[in-house]
Amino acid sequence: MQTKPVAQFKNIKKKIGKKMIIDDISFDVNAGEIFGFLGPNGAGKTTTIRMLFGLISMTEGEIIINGFSITNDFEKAIASVGGIVENPEMYKYLTGYQNLVHYARMYGNITKERIDEVIALVGLDQRIKDKVKTYSLGMRQRLGFAQALLHKPSLIVLDEPTNGLDPAGIHEFRTHLRQLADKENIAIMVSSHQLSEMELMCDRIGIIQNGKLIDIQTVNDFLDKDEVVMRVTFTVDNVTKAKACLNKLFKDKETLSNEVSISITIDSTQIPDIVTAFVREDIRVSGIDKESKTLEDKFLEITGGSGIA
Amino acid sequence: MRRLLNLIRNENMKMFRQMSTYIMLGLLIVIVIGFGFISKNTAQPAATSADWKAQLTQQNTDMQASLTQIQTAGVAVEQSTASIDKAMKTNTYRIEHDLPPEQGTTLWGFVTQLAGAISLVSLFTIIIAAGIVAGEFNSGTIKLLLIRPLKRWKVLLSKYLAVILFALDALIILFVASFLVGGIFYSFGGVSQPYLAYTNGNVTEINMLWHIFTTYGYACVNLLMMVTFAFMISTVFRNNTLAVGISLFLMFTGNMLVTLLSKYTWVKYVLFANIDLTVYTDGIPVVKGMTLNFSLLVLAAYFIVFNIISWLVFTKRDVAA
Repeated sequence: MQTKPVAQFKNIKKKIGKKMIIDDISFDVNAGEIFGFLGPNGAGKTTTIRMLFGLISMTEGEIIINGFSITNDFEKAIASVGGIVENPEMYKYLTGYQNLVHYARMYGNITKERIDEVIALVGLDQRIKDKVKTYSLGMRQRLGFAQALLHKPSLIVLDEPTNGLDPAGIHEFRTHLRQLADKENIAIMVSSHQLSEMELMCDRIGIIQNGKLIDIQTVNDFLDKDEVVMRVTFTVDNVTKAKACLNKLFKDKETLSNEVSISITIDSTQIPDIVTAFVREDIRVSGIDKESKTLEDKFLEITGGSGIA
Repeated sequence: MRRLLNLIRNENMKMFRQMSTYIMLGLLIVIVIGFGFISKNTAQPAATSADWKAQLTQQNTDMQASLTQIQTAGVAVEQSTASIDKAMKTNTYRIEHDLPPEQGTTLWGFVTQLAGAISLVSLFTIIIAAGIVAGEFNSGTIKLLLIRPLKRWKVLLSKYLAVILFALDALIILFVASFLVGGIFYSFGGVSQPYLAYTNGNVTEINMLWHIFTTYGYACVNLLMMVTFAFMISTVFRNNTLAVGISLFLMFTGNMLVTLLSKYTWVKYVLFANIDLTVYTDGIPVVKGMTLNFSLLVLAAYFIVFNIISWLVFTKRDVAA
């Protein structure tokens, strides 16, 4: 995979009054990758995205898109960006199609065929001639996605894109994004607070908190695939006996149990020993579940679980 | 340039996909027709045409007498002399050139009366101007509008031009409607009637269409200034209601304000003291010594200031709506 940066955030700062809303953030979004922008509400995700789109000014720093500065060369920089900022707010009294025509005209080189192509891609063919006020949030989201794709941008930025989509819609949407990134080498930046979502969708994730970028990692590093310490849950026929057995094996570890199962946080290489011990004690094991840390655990670990500080 | 045109097309599309736009334009036509019925039903029966020359001669004799009276009394001599002189000379011109005076209402008389409805066009255009920027902020659509490869000033300019185009549409509709209704009620026979203008002590015949055109033109000064003002308020405060409210308030109280303050000479720098340019052809300016050029300069200054404020605020603003 290429690692050509499409968007470069260089030491951007935004100060409103005396408050540093965005404090010295730097990162790149590369061609062909889906970059997740993760953070609690109020951390500065939307502010950063607005700066990328030139909707709000920067106090310091610059954002470069395909070599053009968003501040000094707005028209050239923005021409290759598509996206949605917060909710996909469209003209409700226009039809979906008229909305797309409206945006298409602002680029000047978008054919009718391209508009139809995009409509088919987002699956709005049936309702595109209806007024937007009759659309569900999911359909507006699809229309928002359509307007973001119209001009074949090399960077797509989506703010909370799965809001209002049903599970099938979210799956479809994820597939679209993956295709755009893999086949057309488009750089995609997605912001979200839905962590599980990010885990499935993104290649790299940047975590922002209180206006500071506190960590960037690939999803794989993030989840630490080769991590060995994990919580293991055994489903057994005799919890009391199992508990005694585990206490014997791991004197200093806590166990958590209910009527049918018992959990312990251990090194995964010790599982066979435990099973052997259980068999020896005549405890029947009907299930073993390994729980690796999710992005959510990791996120809470990194941000200290403080939410809006 | 093509994309600027596209932007204007977009604004037009948005404007004309909203019911309220049609209601306003429809109302304009309804008012013209309504006015036609009312004026037809209350119109004076036309005087017999045979003795109009005798009537005018009699009028002139009477006026000459009152003129002599005024001059001996010495009250408001200047104004009265001017208006009486104008009426007498016009009458004489009619007698000499065999042009009967307009009895009751004619086609052109009707159209001229309805030029008063331009203030209604102003009202509607102010409503459009107040909504065209504020509306995008209120609905949140401003974000998807400004993330296109077009600088903000182009977006703003397209909106301003779309407002002006709406005003032009409305003016054309008003003119055509009042011409048709006037023609239907008072016959199209009066089309060729000339307008007798009185300039520098001389009566001249001018094309009626040109006369109507200048009447509209004078009324449009007010329209343009108030609409530009409403557009500015809409852009600065992003509030539709506020923009309509302030603009209408000023439009209706502006003249009163100027009259109240007319003893101060600085009032000549107030917008409303300069907005009625007809005072320079037949009337008296608010402050003695004001000239047409002075007023044009003041108007231009206000116009530029309004637009610069709109432009600065719109292009510099952080869009966090």
